Amino acid sequence: MEVFSYLLATGMTTGALYALVALGIVVIFKATNVVNFAHGEMFMLGGFLAYTFHIMLGLPYIVSLVLAVAGTFVLGILVDRIAFRPLMARQSLVSVLLAMVAISFILKGVARELWGGKGDYLPFPPIVSPQPIMFGNIMIMSQQIVVFFAAIAIMIIFGLFFTYTRIGKFMQATADNAKAAKLVGLKIDRIYMYTFGIGSAVAGAAAVLMAPLTLLYPDIGFVLFIKGFAAATLGGLTSIPGAIIGGLAIGIIEQMAAGYVYTGLQDVAAFVVIMVVLIFIPNGILGQSGVRKV
Amino acid sequence: MKKHRFRLGLLATMIAAPLISMACPALAEDGVTDKEIRIGAFGPFGGPVYLYGRLVMNGVDAVFQKVNEAGGVHGRKLVLVREDDNCKPEGAIAAVKKLAYQDKVFGIIGGACSNATLAATPEIEKSGLPMIVNSAVADGITTPPKKNIFTTQLTSSIESRAQIDRAIKLGAKKIAVVRMTDAWAMARYNPLMAYAKEKGIKFVANVELQIDAPDATPQALKLRAAGADAVIMLLYAKPGAVMIRDSLKIGYKPYWLGETAINDFAAFQKQVGIPNALEKFATITAVAYQPTDPEMAPWTKRIKSLFPNDELSTFNMNGIGSAEVLVEALKLAGKDLTREKFLAAMGKIKNFKTSVYAGTITCNPPKSHQCNQNPGWLGLVKGKIVHLD
Repeated sequence: MEVFSYLLATGMTTGALYALVALGIVVIFKATNVVNFAHGEMFMLGGFLAYTFHIMLGLPYIVSLVLAVAGTFVLGILVDRIAFRPLMARQSLVSVLLAMVAISFILKGVARELWGGKGDYLPFPPIVSPQPIMFGNIMIMSQQIVVFFAAIAIMIIFGLFFTYTRIGKFMQATADNAKAAKLVGLKIDRIYMYTFGIGSAVAGAAAVLMAPLTLLYPDIGFVLFIKGFAAATLGGLTSIPGAIIGGLAIGIIEQMAAGYVYTGLQDVAAFVVIMVVLIFIPNGILGQSGVRKV
Repeated sequence: MKKHRFRLGLLATMIAAPLISMACPALAEDGVTDKEIRIGAFGPFGGPVYLYGRLVMNGVDAVFQKVNEAGGVHGRKLVLVREDDNCKPEGAIAAVKKLAYQDKVFGIIGGACSNATLAATPEIEKSGLPMIVNSAVADGITTPPKKNIFTTQLTSSIESRAQIDRAIKLGAKKIAVVRMTDAWAMARYNPLMAYAKEKGIKFVANVELQIDAPDATPQALKLRAAGADAVIMLLYAKPGAVMIRDSLKIGYKPYWLGETAINDFAAFQKQVGIPNALEKFATITAVAYQPTDPEMAPWTKRIKSLFPNDELSTFNMNGIGSAEVLVEALKLAGKDLTREKFLAAMGKIKNFKTSVYAGTITCNPPKSHQCNQNPGWLGLVKGKIVHLD
């Protein structure tokens, strides 16, 4: 029972990590119908920005967090202005996706130049005590609990944002039918810009919370993006609660497979399950189907 | 008429030959002029393992800068020509060909990724370029010895043996292994298993951990369940830190035995992030110092001046040590430098002390071209990082 408890708890905390990444992917997809393949690099840069402000420049933790979030927000807007907007104007979705991949490579290269010579894996201090704490009959890292509740909090905030704010509703309307949204007077370019900014800012915030657990290095973005994307796909690319469910499911499957079957399965088990699930539920657990009401 | 032309041709040849030989020095080996010696390097500039390429090359450049400031070797400045191999076999083969036949370098210092360097080994042998390997650890690169390839890096079998010997020395009754599954780890794992068999050791657990895994609780639970009192790690620093962190979380505290991928002890302490987590951790090191040690201050300053964004790292230090060996061999080879003389000079290097390596460098051709046989051990004693016996 102790082993099961540990695997379940760490599955949930690791899953929360994936869910945080998935949330940003879903926010952008929900509004633009585009998967931001550079989302992992936004996360990576958010972490490095926080490292620069807090470790290198000695600014307080909270100030560094705010600046990292602001930095990734600006970066998200730049991605929109440089790649998304001009390419979408030509109705070229494939070009947009390729541009996102290109941006991810460029950002990785920039990170290697700026921070790559400072060490192999850069540590970042946790917001809470680094010591594990007792939780029921098992020990959990304090920072993992912070990440878990942060994922839930961000999910709730976005749920409220999309339901109750004007800009949130505009984003949903634009995602549902961009042409119709434009016809009724919505400035969809501006909405896309905010979407990229907000999605990237989520990555920035997530990076600061997760960096003490994942450490910082230029290639961390891609690894987490793959897991986050898998979580978003499993949960349903248009569903914010789905991102959380998908993330937790992947985390738990990974831990159980490694704990009860074979440690070598840790990395692949979730993908096998996703393949099987998507055969039967192509839109993911909570994803919307392509059918529209008339 | 034909006879006349032949005589004229012969005369022209007789006049031209000495003139040509005067224009080109007798030692006209590729990559060597009166003013400079061009040395090639290959390894990854980008990708997850750029540290073993770009940063090691930066260390080599630091030594070259120092030597050049002092007037060079026998009056010749050292120039490093870098090639990116992307850590891929085909990339390494192409890089060696370009260095040998297009850039026409005198020799090579480098080779970052084991698989890539191993794949390029036949091409290096064919080119005849002297090479000093400074990062790749696969034994196959220098075993059996190749006439023109030496290594100053500890090889995987040397490290694997040292890990098992240390576990035995610590009195461990149940030994386990936790490993990554990429080419780097397999280059260590195979000799580890062979030596364990030789010693009659059967690992009580053998678990896998991926390089980017954010959690190692399942692995920690399996190791604990097996009752392992010493765990041999074939891991990079990140999975190593995650492994120790999650083991502590479940209250599991065996002896942890790392290798040179985790030889920046001070940085590893920060990566694990939990105070006193490394009390039972020891790791193999090829270098004698930590980057923050006062003995390394001159190199810190030099790296900073050459690469302002960088901090001195153990990767730089591997480049520094190997470049010092290269410079020593160039000195011993004399002013009339040829590749044959350089290779002969490599054989004369005995008990050579570099400014960074933990042990001395001794090359014993033709018997062994593995010139670094001295793994050092780092551990904590009363909270201080020290070299262990």
